[in-house]
Amino acid sequence: MIFRLIGSRLLAAIVTMGVAAVVIYGSLRLIPGDPVSAITAGTRLTSEQRAALREKLGLNQGFVSGFTHWLGSVLQLDFGQSMVYGSSVNDLLAARMPTTVTLVLYAAALSLVLGLGMALVSATRPGIIDRIGLVVTSLSIATPSFVVALVLLGVFAVQLRMFPATGSGDGFGDMVYHLTLPAIALMVATFGLVARIMRATFREELVSEHVEVARSRGVARMDILRRHVVRNSVGPMMTITALLLAALFIGTAIVETAFGVDGIGQLLVVSIARRDFPVVQAISLLSVGLFVVTSTIADLALPFVDARVRAVGGLR
Amino acid sequence: MMSTATNSSAAAAAAAPLEISGLSITVQVDGESRPLLDKVSLSVAKGEIVGLVGESGSGKSVTSRSALGLFPGHAITTGSVVVDGVEVIGASAAQLLELRRTRASMIFQDPRSSVNPVRRLGDFLTEGLRARGVGRAEANRTAIGLLEEVGIRDPARAMRRFPHEFSGGMLQRIVIAGALSIGPRLVLADEATTALDVTTQAEVVALLKRLQAESGTGMLFVTHDLELAAALCDRIVVMYAGRVVETGAASAIFAEPQHPYTVGLLGSNPRLTGERATLTPIVGRPLALAEAPAGCAFRDRCPIAVPACATEVPALRPSRATEVACIMPGDEKAA
Ligand SMILES: Nc1ncnc2c1ncn2[C@@H]1O[C@H](COP(=O)(O)OP(=O)(O)OP(=O)(O)O)[C@@H](O)[C@H]1O
Ligand SMILES: [Mg+2]
Repeated sequence: MIFRLIGSRLLAAIVTMGVAAVVIYGSLRLIPGDPVSAITAGTRLTSEQRAALREKLGLNQGFVSGFTHWLGSVLQLDFGQSMVYGSSVNDLLAARMPTTVTLVLYAAALSLVLGLGMALVSATRPGIIDRIGLVVTSLSIATPSFVVALVLLGVFAVQLRMFPATGSGDGFGDMVYHLTLPAIALMVATFGLVARIMRATFREELVSEHVEVARSRGVARMDILRRHVVRNSVGPMMTITALLLAALFIGTAIVETAFGVDGIGQLLVVSIARRDFPVVQAISLLSVGLFVVTSTIADLALPFVDARVRAVGGLR
Repeated sequence: MMSTATNSSAAAAAAAPLEISGLSITVQVDGESRPLLDKVSLSVAKGEIVGLVGESGSGKSVTSRSALGLFPGHAITTGSVVVDGVEVIGASAAQLLELRRTRASMIFQDPRSSVNPVRRLGDFLTEGLRARGVGRAEANRTAIGLLEEVGIRDPARAMRRFPHEFSGGMLQRIVIAGALSIGPRLVLADEATTALDVTTQAEVVALLKRLQAESGTGMLFVTHDLELAAALCDRIVVMYAGRVVETGAASAIFAEPQHPYTVGLLGSNPRLTGERATLTPIVGRPLALAEAPAGCAFRDRCPIAVPACATEVPALRPSRATEVACIMPGDEKAA
C-alpha cells in the first residue's frame, strides 16, 4: 500500500544520508599521517594551536565517539567554524545560498525547457531533424561546462560585452543578469542528457497502442501529445528533474569559479584548496542531502501521477 | 468547403457504411516494394455485420484500418474506400479527422493497451466526443449512459476509476462503450474478443451484437475464427494472402464452403457443435501477399491444386451460394 511506499522511500533516504555522513566524516580521518599537519601544511602553528585544532576536529577521540559527537552537532544544523574565515559555516553558507539557489533553478529551467522541447521535436519528427538533434545532444553531453564557460566568457562578456564577466550582482534583477551566462553554461552541459532520455520516453509512448486508439478516434495531434505522450511521461520527467537539480548543484563548483560568482560552488572549491574541512564537510552533506531530498520527492510524487503505482505500492 | 460537407452528408443518408472496391496497398520496405493487399473489395450495409476472416498475415487489419485512413507508412494506395459516403483515399487531414470523430470507430484487440493506463476511464470514454467539440457535461452524460448499457455497475463511479481496476472483459466493454460514444455509422472490431477467455468472449460478442442491432450501425467484425464469424455475422469475407478468396452469406459459407481454404479454416477449428470432432488443420504456414507464388496464392497448401492453378490469379466468380476465387470450387470431395 501507499504507506509502505512512503515508509520504504523515507528509510532509503535516511540510510543514504547516514552512509554519506560516515563517508564525509571518515574522509577527514582517512588522511594519511597526522590530519592536522596535512590540513595546516605550510602554516606555522604553536603546539597549543595544534592541540586546540585536534580537539576541535575531534581527533583525540576514537572514530565512533568522534563521529557521534560530530553527527550530534550536524543534526542540530551546527557545522562549526570555518578554519579559514573564522566565522561560522552556517553564516558562510547562508550568505551564498540565494545566489547558488537562483543559479541552480535558473539553469534547471533553461535545461528542462530546451531538453524537453528538443526531446518532443526529435521524437515526433524522425529523419533529418531527429538526426540533427542526436548530434546536438551528443555535443551537449560531451562538452564539459568549463569549456562552455570559457567560450561564453570570450564571446559574450569580452567580445560583445553583453554580459558581465564576473560577480553576482546586487538585488534580484541584477543577480539574474549576472547569472545568465553561468546558467547558460550549466544548461549547455546538461540539456543533452535530458533531451536524450526524454526522447526515448516520448518515442515509447508515441508508438503505444493507446496513442494509436486516440489517433483512430480523430483526437487532434496536439491533444495526443499533451494528454497521452507528455502526460504519460511525467514520471520519468520528475526523476530527471530531481537528478538534474543535484547535478547542477555540483556543477556550480566549476561554473561559479569560472565566472567569479560568489556562491556555494566557489566556496567549495576555495575551501578544498585551503583545506577548510568544516566547510567542505557541510557543503558535501548539503549536496548529498539535496540529491536525497529531490529524488525522494520525485519517487513519492509518482503515485500521484500514475495510479498503477498507487495500487501496487511499488515501482512498475 | 461548407457546401462539400453538406453534399457529403446528404449523400451519406443513402450511402453504405463501408464500401471498399479494388483496394490495393503496396508499402516500401528498405527500398523494396512489398504488396500487402491486392484488389480487395467488400462492403458493409446499414445494420449489417460482416465477418472478415483469415489466418494471421492475410491482411485483415490492414483492410479494416484503411476504413479510418490508417494506412501503413510510405504506402501506395489505389482503389476506393468509401465510409458513409466519404472517400478515404486521398482525403485531406481535416476530412479524416471528421470521419474518425463522427462516422466510424474501431475496437482493438487488447483493451489493456487500448486505454491510457494513467488517465481515468471518463477521460477515455469522452475523448472521442470531446475531440468533436461536445461539452464536458454532455459528453459525461453520454458516457455514463453507455456504461450502463454495456453493463458496468455504478457508472458514475466507474468514470473516475482507472483501467487497472477492471478485468479484461469489463475493460473491453468500456472500450466498446467508447467506440459507440460518437454514434458511428460503422464499427470496426479488429479481433475485439480474441484476447478474452471463452466465457467472457461469448458475453462480449453477445453485447456487441445487441448494441449493433439496437443502433443499426454497420459492423466489420475481424477475426481468425470462422465459426465465431459464422455465428455472429450476416455475411463473411474470407481473405488469404492479401486477397479476398471467398465471400457470401454466413450460413452459406458455413454450410457449403466453396474455396478449399475456407474448407480448411472450418476444419482447423475444434467444433463445439458438430458431431465429428476431428481436427484437420491446413498444412503449411500462411503466406503474406509479398511471399505468394504466381497464380493462386493458396495452391502450395491446397489439397486439390492442379498445374492450372499456377497460371493466373483466379477472379471471384459465383459458385452455388457464394462467390469464390478458385478454378475448381467445391471440388474437394472429388480430389
Ligand atoms: N506498416 C506495415 N509495413 C509493412 N508491412 C506491413 C505493415 N502492416 C502490415 N504489414 C504486413 O501486411 C501483412 C498483413 O498484415 P495484417 O496485420 O493486416 O494481417 P492480419 O490478417 O490482421 O493478421 P493477424 O491475424 O496476425 O492480425 C502482414 O504480412 C504484415 O507483415
Ligand atoms: Mg490483425
